[in-house]
Amino acid sequence: MAHQAHSYHMVDPSPWPIFGAAAALLTTSGLIMWFHYNSFQLLLLGTLSMLLVMLQWWRDIVRESTFQGHHTPTVQKGLRYGMVLFITSEAFFFLGFFWAFFHSSLAPTPELGGQWPPTGISPLNPLEVPLLNTAILLASGVTVTWAHHSIMEGNRKQAIHALTTTILLGFYFTALQATEYYEAPFSIADGVYGSTFFIATGFHGLHVIIGSSFLLVCLLRLINFHFTSNHHFGFEAAAWYWHFVDVIWLFLYMTIYWWGS
Amino acid sequence: MYYKFNGVTQRLVGAAASAAYNPQGLKPIVATESPALIFGTTTKLASDLPATDSFLGKNKVPDLQKLFQKADGLPVHLKRGVPDKLLYRTTMALTIGGTIYCLVALYMASQPRNQK
Repeated sequence: MAHQAHSYHMVDPSPWPIFGAAAALLTTSGLIMWFHYNSFQLLLLGTLSMLLVMLQWWRDIVRESTFQGHHTPTVQKGLRYGMVLFITSEAFFFLGFFWAFFHSSLAPTPELGGQWPPTGISPLNPLEVPLLNTAILLASGVTVTWAHHSIMEGNRKQAIHALTTTILLGFYFTALQATEYYEAPFSIADGVYGSTFFIATGFHGLHVIIGSSFLLVCLLRLINFHFTSNHHFGFEAAAWYWHFVDVIWLFLYMTIYWWGS
Repeated sequence: MYYKFNGVTQRLVGAAASAAYNPQGLKPIVATESPALIFGTTTKLASDLPATDSFLGKNKVPDLQKLFQKADGLPVHLKRGVPDKLLYRTTMALTIGGTIYCLVALYMASQPRNQK
């Protein structure tokens, strides 16, 4: 099909990168307009165009790989490097928020009452819902591995069952966290405790939602026969991301929820 | 003896006939042989179902492969025709229109407000 003497993928010209950049501009400016002028239109426009770009860009990648066969082992190697580097960058992103937490909690100032948790803060009991959430994410790590092995063995029904279970566990985690947020006796405005707690767990929750969406797309592709038993990198990338989300939660649980209570 | 290209060591290595007849990364444009060969005979697949078992739908991938490999000169983001064009134009309208709106809004926001 291709008249090239190498195994790399020279992509067709695509509008999504520039549209994606424009969507990022709209989203960030939209945040400004919302924060300072109480106006939603730009933010709405930004998130909508971001969604459209993501959908079409990733749809094109599925077309190029599954339908056009461009993802040779060389291309796949590049994608693996890319995903690893991306997850590493996300790890550093969370590292910053953990740094902020330890900066304030290891040596609490007199303004906080010289203690951690600060005076007046009643932290959540780590042995209640947070422990359940830990169990849920650990279980989802098991089910996603089960799904992977089912795919590799060509067992379609089991793979679909395992991946569906993983996604449901992810949704259960999100629902529980949402109720925890609603019921918490402290808010993001409650000093540095509130800030570090809600920013760290909030970004983690966002990553759970992103990971669940990624797994959901993989489920749809799995149902539509896109994966073969030895070529299913989209699924592997989603599984790596999901394990990363799980590890971040374990750190959050051990440091902020448990040590910090 | 058949050979295949090992992407890790960048060398040719010995392989079974199935790998030679179904090269890595290349999919046949049209199934000239029986459909089973598209997926190979030694690789077990998620789609390797007996004909009677239609758990959640049938496999449309070979048809989509034919559609997307048509030599019509269209780029991949427009390959499906009308629905692709509509989505593309909608996205373009929103992003370009939005960018203009954004620049106007930022210009207005940068004007100092005289009342205090």
